[in-house]
Amino acid sequence: MTNDANTRAEMSFAKRYNLFFWFRHAALMLWALMIMFPIFWMISTSFKDSGDWVTWPPNWFPSFIGGGYEPTLHNYQQIFTIVGHGESLSREVTEQAFTIWGAVRDSMVVSSISAFIALLLGTFLAYSISRFNVGGKYFRYMILTIRMVPPIIIAIPVVMYYAILIPFSTQAVLGIRISMIDTYVGLCLLYIATTLPFVIWMMLNFIEEIPKTIEHAAQIMGAGRIYTLRRVVMPLVAPGMVVTFLFIFILNWSEFLLALTLTQPNVITLPILLNKFQSAMEGRLYGPQAAIGTVITVPVVILGVLIQKHLITGFSFGTIRK
Amino acid sequence: MASITLQKLVKKFGETVTAVAGVDLDVSDGEFMVVVGPSGCGKTTTLNMISGFEEPTSGTMLIGDRVVNHLEPGDRGLGMVFQDLALFPHMTVFENIAFGLRVDKTADTEVKERVSKVATTMKISHLLTKKPAQCSGGEAQRVALARTIITEPQVLLMDEPLSSLDAKLRIEMRTELKRLHEELKSTFVYVTHDQAEAMTMADRIMVMESGYVQQIDTPLGIYRKPTNQFVGTFFGQPTMNIIPGRIENSGSSNFVSEQFELGIAPDSVPGSALGKDINLGVRSENVTIGDEGASGEVRLIEPLGDETLVFFSCGNEDFLVAKVDAEREFSPGDNIRFSFQPGGMHFFDAESGGRLE
Repeated sequence: MTNDANTRAEMSFAKRYNLFFWFRHAALMLWALMIMFPIFWMISTSFKDSGDWVTWPPNWFPSFIGGGYEPTLHNYQQIFTIVGHGESLSREVTEQAFTIWGAVRDSMVVSSISAFIALLLGTFLAYSISRFNVGGKYFRYMILTIRMVPPIIIAIPVVMYYAILIPFSTQAVLGIRISMIDTYVGLCLLYIATTLPFVIWMMLNFIEEIPKTIEHAAQIMGAGRIYTLRRVVMPLVAPGMVVTFLFIFILNWSEFLLALTLTQPNVITLPILLNKFQSAMEGRLYGPQAAIGTVITVPVVILGVLIQKHLITGFSFGTIRK
Repeated sequence: MASITLQKLVKKFGETVTAVAGVDLDVSDGEFMVVVGPSGCGKTTTLNMISGFEEPTSGTMLIGDRVVNHLEPGDRGLGMVFQDLALFPHMTVFENIAFGLRVDKTADTEVKERVSKVATTMKISHLLTKKPAQCSGGEAQRVALARTIITEPQVLLMDEPLSSLDAKLRIEMRTELKRLHEELKSTFVYVTHDQAEAMTMADRIMVMESGYVQQIDTPLGIYRKPTNQFVGTFFGQPTMNIIPGRIENSGSSNFVSEQFELGIAPDSVPGSALGKDINLGVRSENVTIGDEGASGEVRLIEPLGDETLVFFSCGNEDFLVAKVDAEREFSPGDNIRFSFQPGGMHFFDAESGGRLE
């Protein structure tokens, strides 16, 4: 009797669990589809010729799996070789005759240098907040509130600062006019400032994983603060630093608004280049735009996969049993 | 020359919290001093001040004849084993042990030689290439000890180093630590909340409660002559019986409590205990169950193997406990008579808890 009852109870529990399992997965699948669809659309458009960009009904799939459009690498050829050879490009774009390579370089330089510097500064700041209580008890939360300010609010004063204040004061003091507008340094500084809160916040989590006693153990054996940092703390937070670097790199890589206001025509990052592929005369050049979009997204996806792996090791590295 | 002297050592956290309220302590060279007390009594804070991780609010600390108040932890000539062991998880056992030597920029050949020597002493030679996470609890413990003793510090501080081990291993490591102390002949300061650990290992024990030193004495001195009721009840297993009552002296001495009245030898009663409210403390082994004395009823039996604990009540629901020979058989419900051995009675002031002599 009781055995029967137990089995029944178990079955219904299993059934309920199963139902929940399917519901959960269905919801997640639906959500994933909604997220993935624009990416799918972007990638497929990047392989379409101009005639297929806006046809209705849409051509979902390439012909080799029975779809309606003939895939082409034309868009990629356009963006990777000198723009202007393509017959469908606007005059505005052709006149400048740029390729994507310049923007790839600019994006790489700006994103990685500012992520690297922010990481370095942020790690030491986080260490001092964690170990010396710098800034007081609530400082760590105050840091994050900086992120509540919409970027555009920062952008406008910074433009004035870069374009007017700094040039005029350098002129007055040094006799040379130094403008920070449209320079690597100008954009990097701003990226460092805006991402520093994230770095501090993330690194704080990693640093606080390290028990203080581990540092104490090193210190009592005669190791100074720097030696302890280099030999004990740094190796332990290294996975965390990798994760943080990649995260910040991605933020910088895809940043649009600040780059739009502070750069061009000398420094052009990828998101800005993407924005340029449209003109009043020819409208949007969906194909090349989709190709650039794909080129921007691919490294981010690769990094994302890497981060995922490091996030797991990064957050769960065990020190020693407590 | 590695004695430790603490003079009026005080540590306050903020305005209100006094963790250590004036500790005076002399640990002589080569002594095994155990600091014991319940959690929050200030024992770890005291140790952290000796090691240099906490700065005392006031007071002086000397190691040898050098005032160390303002020295960095690394300059005090100490070794320390931490409660969580604090092994470096990213280094091999070898590098963990070698760390102190590396800091001093010792030559490679000497490092190898000394690490392998210490590893042999601590019986961990087979672990040298492993990471700490691959070691068992006992092995990690040995690695932590090896790492500490390799630099031959004159003073070894230990902050509850055995608390992460299981009971059997903990008892094994006690013996190991005592052996190590004999071998090294350095000064040990050992913090624990476990009275049994303190009793078995210490040359002398310092008992602390709420930041104050209660008693500093040898283990047997503390056991036999606790300075107050707190120390009396803190040491010994099972806990000392405490019975509130009065001593009445009308020809012969009588201990009168709410539940029972018991005649006691007059010369075992200190004069200061007469005629006031006292708490009588009697350890279980000093309670005799026999043919005379007050009557009680057996409630619980706990056989320990060689001895048996008999919990009995008399009059109310407070149990008293007696330790009797395992040969004698009791069962719950038995009516018994009990008395206290003359030398085994401790008289504590009911108000202050202080020992009356």
